[in-house]
Amino acid sequence: MTKYGMVVDLDRCQGCRACVEACKIENNTPSAVFWMHVFRLEDGEYPNTRLSFLPRPCQHCNNAPCVKVCPVGARYGREDGLVLTDYDRCIGCRYCEVACPYGVNYFNWRSPDDAFADYQMSFDDPDVVAVTDGAVPPYRNPVHDRKHGDERRRTSGSSHDKGVMEKCTFCVHRVEQGLLPACVDTCPVGALRFGDTDDDETPISQFLRTRETFQLLEELGTDPSVVYVGGTAPTSHAREIERPMTEVTR
Amino acid sequence: MTVQDAHAPDERREREETELPMGVGRVSRGWIAFVGLAFLGVVVGIIGFLTEQGQGLVGTGMRDLGTMGGATWGLYITLVIYFVGVSFAGIMIAALIRLFNLEHLKGIARMAEVMTVVALLLGALAIIVDLGKPVRGVVNLFRYARPQSPFFGTFSLVITGYLFSSLVYMYVTARRDAAVLAARPSKLQGFFRAWSAGYEDTADQRARDRRTTFWLALAILPVLVVATSSLGLVFGLQVGRPGWFGTLQAPAFVVLAGVSGIGHIIVLAAIVRHALHQEDRIGVDAFAWLGRFLMTLLFVYCYFVAVEIFTTIYQPAVAEQRIGDALLTGRYAWLFWGSIVTLVVPALLLAWMAIKKQWRIGWLVAIGVIVNLGALAKRYLIVVPSQTHGQLLPYGEVGTYSPTWVEYAVMIGLFSLGALLVAIFMKIFPIIELADADTDPDVDDGGAERPEAHEMEKEVVS
Amino acid sequence: MTRRGVITMAMIVVGLLLMGYGYFGGAAQWCADAVSCSNPRVEWSPAIFVLGVIVAFSSALYYTVAKDEVTDEVARGKQQ
Repeated sequence: MTKYGMVVDLDRCQGCRACVEACKIENNTPSAVFWMHVFRLEDGEYPNTRLSFLPRPCQHCNNAPCVKVCPVGARYGREDGLVLTDYDRCIGCRYCEVACPYGVNYFNWRSPDDAFADYQMSFDDPDVVAVTDGAVPPYRNPVHDRKHGDERRRTSGSSHDKGVMEKCTFCVHRVEQGLLPACVDTCPVGALRFGDTDDDETPISQFLRTRETFQLLEELGTDPSVVYVGGTAPTSHAREIERPMTEVTR
Repeated sequence: MTVQDAHAPDERREREETELPMGVGRVSRGWIAFVGLAFLGVVVGIIGFLTEQGQGLVGTGMRDLGTMGGATWGLYITLVIYFVGVSFAGIMIAALIRLFNLEHLKGIARMAEVMTVVALLLGALAIIVDLGKPVRGVVNLFRYARPQSPFFGTFSLVITGYLFSSLVYMYVTARRDAAVLAARPSKLQGFFRAWSAGYEDTADQRARDRRTTFWLALAILPVLVVATSSLGLVFGLQVGRPGWFGTLQAPAFVVLAGVSGIGHIIVLAAIVRHALHQEDRIGVDAFAWLGRFLMTLLFVYCYFVAVEIFTTIYQPAVAEQRIGDALLTGRYAWLFWGSIVTLVVPALLLAWMAIKKQWRIGWLVAIGVIVNLGALAKRYLIVVPSQTHGQLLPYGEVGTYSPTWVEYAVMIGLFSLGALLVAIFMKIFPIIELADADTDPDVDDGGAERPEAHEMEKEVVS
Repeated sequence: MTRRGVITMAMIVVGLLLMGYGYFGGAAQWCADAVSCSNPRVEWSPAIFVLGVIVAFSSALYYTVAKDEVTDEVARGKQQ
């Protein structure tokens, strides 16, 4: 049985945030929304300070609190380890968001085609059409409008319907085509690995056997599918030295 | 007691004979002003809601946890748990009164039931306002709701089961009064006739009513505790939210629910007593009973808070400490200590009144209002700080949340709607159960105690 | 037991059965690791649960409101 997992090699991560950018492009996420986020952390006081980087996608927990609390089953865990959101069922109560200890959920506070709010570029906007001549740019990927998995639900990025919850999907639309998630594919230093952790012969399983691993907030018993190797878990005194934009209205 | 004026002109006597008890069917200038004001408040709330629906929840102060540094549950969820808490005490008191046959409290039973139904309605509306997809929410909950989610209890037991059982309870206990009123000619006669549904005031029927209300009360009480606890568990079960996770959430939730609800009943009872001149139906002993009950619950709750503070400061985990500091000395300190004062001082005042055995209604009303402000603040402090200060990953220092005008407008709208519904109910149905003298079909309505028409003109409902 | 009592008890039993079915039989299972956990085993089963609550409490309405040709004098006391 396939069980997807991600390995984050903290010894390799250099904090370039190329994965963050790749995710935003692949999933066309609105402003201030980061399904993939990389903490740039500082620990200790001068002169004994240390910088570290910590990529944080959705942890795709095997014992996911967000799945348990969802009142309508819009947030669900799949047999292959992916934790996804059904945008056609979500009622927008945001319980998953408060239940998640990792802070990976992003709610669609406003409509993405609200051109007046300048939230996201509208390709029907006359000003935009004047430049594009009606052509829809290639990065608005029509695959996102499809239904995914055996369960046939609309779960991949790019819809951003007002009033529903979204988060990292492990790029379900790419994984189903045999591709790697966008962040993994983009990482210039190979700090992110992705694959079937249930099969002992896959590269990711072989890599995991050779290294000591930890999970984020292991003590909560969420059993994430995202596993970290190298480096150290951030201490409770780590400070974020730089955070991307936080304002929805930019 | 007879208030019939024997020397009144025939014309006035005729009019009085057709009048219904408890001010039903007659409105005063004060009532109209009050209802007008409440209606304005509802309009404000609707404007807020439509604004929010138009632009999305971006119009509120809520934002995502994590990189956005906000709180994703705010004033709306605070109001949900506050209103459900208020409703809890209403039906609880009504059930206790009928279960233990507390004669001197009969006068407040119906207003407690009305308060429950209204508060539940407001709680349900507050949930709907909070949803990103309100219409889909109503459909999908009936279609897909999962028992594993603590919201299942909130939705199925609180909003539907508990609302329906309260309505049944109110209907059954009020049917005899409806039959009495249906016997008198009035504009509302058709309504009363429908409500009474062919009620015949026989010994058999009375026995059946007694049995029904007894068993209903007995069935409702456990449903109440389970349902209200389930709302506490919405928070208490979340291991990923420091400050929420804990066994005390559910019981503390139930106790504070009782505090806010009894506060409301005291205020409502005092208003009705004054407006309808029902000093003998709602006696000081009724207020004394409510006051002692409120005092007990307040002391229990203060004990819970003390235990919680001690647990927070003794050997806290890092995130717990951050929340504790924010509450005790940091950003929320003014609200936290303010709410403590509004709970401790009333408890001491009530204890003093209980010892002296002197119950002043004015003081009780003030206490009722104050403990409700405290309860609302405590609800807010349960919901928000764990989100703004309880992140377990190093997302900057802290988050921020402050409600916007949209949220305040909706809050005003909800409170106004509640006041409006209660005020309207008072004019279409007796808010106090009619005494036997009123309802005995053999006695002419000369036995009815009614305020004089000219007194009604001066009544102040608010 | 009079007809009134029988129907009332029947409504309570039917209500409880509907609640039990809606909660334990038809609703989604308590798990988080499979797609099937997110779907109720019978669609609209929460509505069945709510219907059960309504039927059970409606028994009180029936008990007080229904007209009965048989006198209830004999029933009093038996109805526990």
